[in-house]
Amino acid sequence: MQLTLQGIIPVPLREKVNNYQSGIWKSNLTLNKGEFVFIQAPSGTGKTTLIHILYGLRKDYQGDIKWNESSLVTAGNEVLANLRTTNISVIFQDMRLFPELTAWENIDIKRRLTNTISENQALEWLDRLGLKDKKNATANTMSYGEQQRVAIIRSLLQPFDWLLMDEPFSHLDHVNIAKAIALISEVVKQNGAGLILADLDENNYFPYTKTLML
Amino acid sequence: MSDQTQKSMLKKLLLGTQHSSRLWAALAALCIGTTLLLLSVMIWWNFSELLYGSNQKDSLGSTYMIVGKRVTEQNMGTPSATLFSQKEIDSLKTAPEVMDVGLITSNRFPIYATLGGRLAFATDMVLESVPDNFLDKMPPEWKWTPGTRDLPIIVSSQFLDIYNYVFAPSQNLPQLSETSVKNIALTFKVGKDDKTEIFIAHVVGFSDRIGSVLAPQSFIDYGNQKFGKPGETTTTSQVLLKTKDPSDTRFGKYLKSHDYTTNSQNLRWSKIRAIVEVVTSATGILALLLMGIGTLVFILFIELTIARAQHALTLLLQIGYSPRYISKFMAGKFLPMVLGTVVASMILTIIAQVVTSSLVQSQGLVLPAIPGWPVWAALVVSSSILVVLVSKSISGAISKR
Repeated sequence: MQLTLQGIIPVPLREKVNNYQSGIWKSNLTLNKGEFVFIQAPSGTGKTTLIHILYGLRKDYQGDIKWNESSLVTAGNEVLANLRTTNISVIFQDMRLFPELTAWENIDIKRRLTNTISENQALEWLDRLGLKDKKNATANTMSYGEQQRVAIIRSLLQPFDWLLMDEPFSHLDHVNIAKAIALISEVVKQNGAGLILADLDENNYFPYTKTLML
Repeated sequence: MSDQTQKSMLKKLLLGTQHSSRLWAALAALCIGTTLLLLSVMIWWNFSELLYGSNQKDSLGSTYMIVGKRVTEQNMGTPSATLFSQKEIDSLKTAPEVMDVGLITSNRFPIYATLGGRLAFATDMVLESVPDNFLDKMPPEWKWTPGTRDLPIIVSSQFLDIYNYVFAPSQNLPQLSETSVKNIALTFKVGKDDKTEIFIAHVVGFSDRIGSVLAPQSFIDYGNQKFGKPGETTTTSQVLLKTKDPSDTRFGKYLKSHDYTTNSQNLRWSKIRAIVEVVTSATGILALLLMGIGTLVFILFIELTIARAQHALTLLLQIGYSPRYISKFMAGKFLPMVLGTVVASMILTIIAQVVTSSLVQSQGLVLPAIPGWPVWAALVVSSSILVVLVSKSISGAISKR
């Protein structure tokens, strides 16, 4: 699945993006399937805005975005729901777990929607990221680091062509980052997918094929 | 949607915040509204069944009246001036409130009635006939075919009253019950000179509707043809009208403009019907209002539930649940409640009908024990509207997120 951006200008950042040269805003850009894209984004340049725009969460922008040939601007709710269960997955910066559900339920509610990963597989991933004993803890009692690991697992429970990540490891230590990277790389490879990772500072979490400055 | 674990998680997220007391209140409001609506349709249908229904022994809803042309100083010399032409009869059929027009045919041949025994008397008779469906009570013996000697007749109840309360006491004669009158056989000599025929007449019934003596239509037709003046066409000087509401001023105006006379006493009776209709339609409007309020309360409850679950709902959509899937899930929770409420209302209405039916039975009125089709129709229409409104409010509230 090809991603095409055509002169995107988010309305809230309109003044700002006119004052500097961005690798993404106002540019025409095509990202092909399987690419590992790193977007380096200093604070306030609209990193989260970009991820949300790509994921179809907000529409307050000018220009056009196309996943393959279909425009995101005109996509309805049902089309977006389909896109979010079969083509694009996301790890939000703010995790976005259901606070009243347990770690396992947060995973299971996504797993049962898409039915691509078995219960055992999901349990094994939970174990790999060191969350086995947190399985039945509700999300609102978990630390940010634990929530972030649950969010990572949740993003891998569906088929996808692109994995969008917004500061995915901000709350993790080196050991856990390494475990998470290993898991993500494995699943991305299985899916033959590409990834877009947006973060503040330069990093070498993944073997990027393209680096863009926001 | 068959996954129970998934359903119970969705339930926890989307419906976990709802207050069960508020749910019951909303359901009660809906149930009261629906029940009242069904009851008012039931009341309306029961009244119209009692007033105009075909299975009533005596249909209370229609008033029969005999209408003739007024005999005035100007037309009293010309008998044909008070006859009804076919055109006038057709016009009567389309007059306001008129449901049916029955032509009263009278005998155009001489009848001489005699009775032997203690009550011996002899008199010239007049007979009239009306179409059978205009009779208030149809006796089983009410038929006559040429060649039959026995002739059934129906006598106005007023005749018996005059005899029993006025004539018999003054002449020192015994009073007669209806049954004893029915046992009397009168001898009718029909025709004159050498062309006569004898019939044995029996009173088979009494009528409040007609003020004379009735014979079957077939007998009058036979007599008029056989004994009447040759070449004389049967003419109508009086008609019997079956009217829905003779108190309607348009009907009164119609009679007046054509200079028709009638017995206007029973016009007052029909005022009661007018009141009944006002009461039932007022109940209906009130019931519609309450049903509307009940529906509104329930829909607001649903929207409140969805609004309370807004955070979870937004997040579900963000992780890929489609609005249609969520709407289906919510509809699956709320629609059975709606349908259950409607069924409960219908059960209450059926119970009310059974009770009503047995109550009016003691008054000598007949009502079916099961509500009539308009009640079922109201049930289908109101529950369809409810289902549509509830589904729309669910999908509307979800797609707004």
